[in-house]
Amino acid sequence: MHTIWRVILVAFLCGSPLGYGYTPGEMVDSKMPTKTLMPKVKVDSGRLEWVPYAMDLSPWPTLCEDDPRAMPRPQHAQYVAPLRGDAVRGRMIVMDTRRGNCVTCHEIPGEDWPGTFGRKLNHYKQLRMSDADIYQQIYDVRITAPRAVMPPFGALGILSDQDIRDVVAYLQSLE
Amino acid sequence: MRNLIVVLGLLLAPAWADEPYKEYTPAEHFEPHVSGDSQLTGTYRYWKDPTKLDLRLAGHPDDSWKLNWKHLDYPFNKEMHAGHLALDRGLVLFNKLNRAGTFKNCLVMYRLNGQYETTLRGLRTHFPAYRTDLRRVAGLEEVIEHCAALESETLQNGSYDNSAVSIYIASQSLGMPIKIDVSSGPLREAWKRGERLFHQKVGRNNMSCASCHVGRVGQSLRATVVTSPYGDAAHYPVYRDRFGITSLHIRFAQCSLDLGFNALKPGSPAYTDVEVFLTALTNGYPVSVPSERP
Repeated sequence: MHTIWRVILVAFLCGSPLGYGYTPGEMVDSKMPTKTLMPKVKVDSGRLEWVPYAMDLSPWPTLCEDDPRAMPRPQHAQYVAPLRGDAVRGRMIVMDTRRGNCVTCHEIPGEDWPGTFGRKLNHYKQLRMSDADIYQQIYDVRITAPRAVMPPFGALGILSDQDIRDVVAYLQSLE
Repeated sequence: MRNLIVVLGLLLAPAWADEPYKEYTPAEHFEPHVSGDSQLTGTYRYWKDPTKLDLRLAGHPDDSWKLNWKHLDYPFNKEMHAGHLALDRGLVLFNKLNRAGTFKNCLVMYRLNGQYETTLRGLRTHFPAYRTDLRRVAGLEEVIEHCAALESETLQNGSYDNSAVSIYIASQSLGMPIKIDVSSGPLREAWKRGERLFHQKVGRNNMSCASCHVGRVGQSLRATVVTSPYGDAAHYPVYRDRFGITSLHIRFAQCSLDLGFNALKPGSPAYTDVEVFLTALTNGYPVSVPSERP
């Protein structure tokens, strides 16, 4: 019951394309795999097209003061040793734009055009951080650095426990 | 209606009465004039005068960001691009819409301060503005959609034809500085809401506009170089080679999806508030259309 009312509220208050000016039948095709739509500008047309976006982003609070959904508070990670991470899988997560997407901000070996926001991860093992500290850093960076821009991957549910273990294993392999 | 829904929502679920937990990027001081950039990025001196840009900076891979991409604006950039085609179509559409003269009246007659004008010259520099007929602050594209509807034409906010007419109207103010007054009234309220939204962390990545556009200007997200929030509203709607003619609200929608939350409809109140905020940060910078960006 609550979920339904929330969806209706958000749609009305925030003017999202799912509930503002369009009827749901116009906007959502039952065959459509996602609830997130992307505007597409069609040349020489007075109408704006909305096409399915690659990801479903509807669970997340949107840019609107009236959105009643809260963001997760900073969380301490529950890390249990041993690590048991797969560095090869970790690298795939680091490079995947839908998952870790680390390379957008950090320099990673083997990537010619990395971002410059975060610190360089080329020789991460030389920092001699413990597995538990790196795990916390990825799980929710707000605990140790409240002003950091990095997303709290664990607290927001972007990466699972095993995903983070794999990324830690990969970072510990960068000598 | 809006308030009624809020009241109903609060009655139905008392838990919502608590303020939902949201984080805000620590606020900087923003000046409602383009020269405020001197305090934020310090690059204002390089792009202050669009007629006197440094050619050496424009060609330098590490330094071109200091021009805030103004080397892609007229008069430095005299290349032909798809923005010019949109301008031509905008002129044709405007003449068609304005056959009876009522479309232009609708655009100009509700100007702020009760000034009635008969010309489009300078109109773009006063938007977003409070419209007494709509009873809210509205951007130029929203007003075009509204006035076209009165002529029984559909020009949805963000569509190609809407942006084309917007580019044509903006071209009548070419080189005139943006001038909106956010010191009082409804625009003051919109500026404050827009500033708050600019710092509000939302979406799948828990990021705000300010996460990137304050303190990290000039750094790169892979090939994307972060721009200053100052002086950026003067060249919209803009031609972007990947997305075509892009109005400011369509740009916000693309940003929303990149940051990981559902895009709002162009013309929605939150986007208009952010538009007011960004346009005030462009106060004093000349209108430049048609323009292009990567």
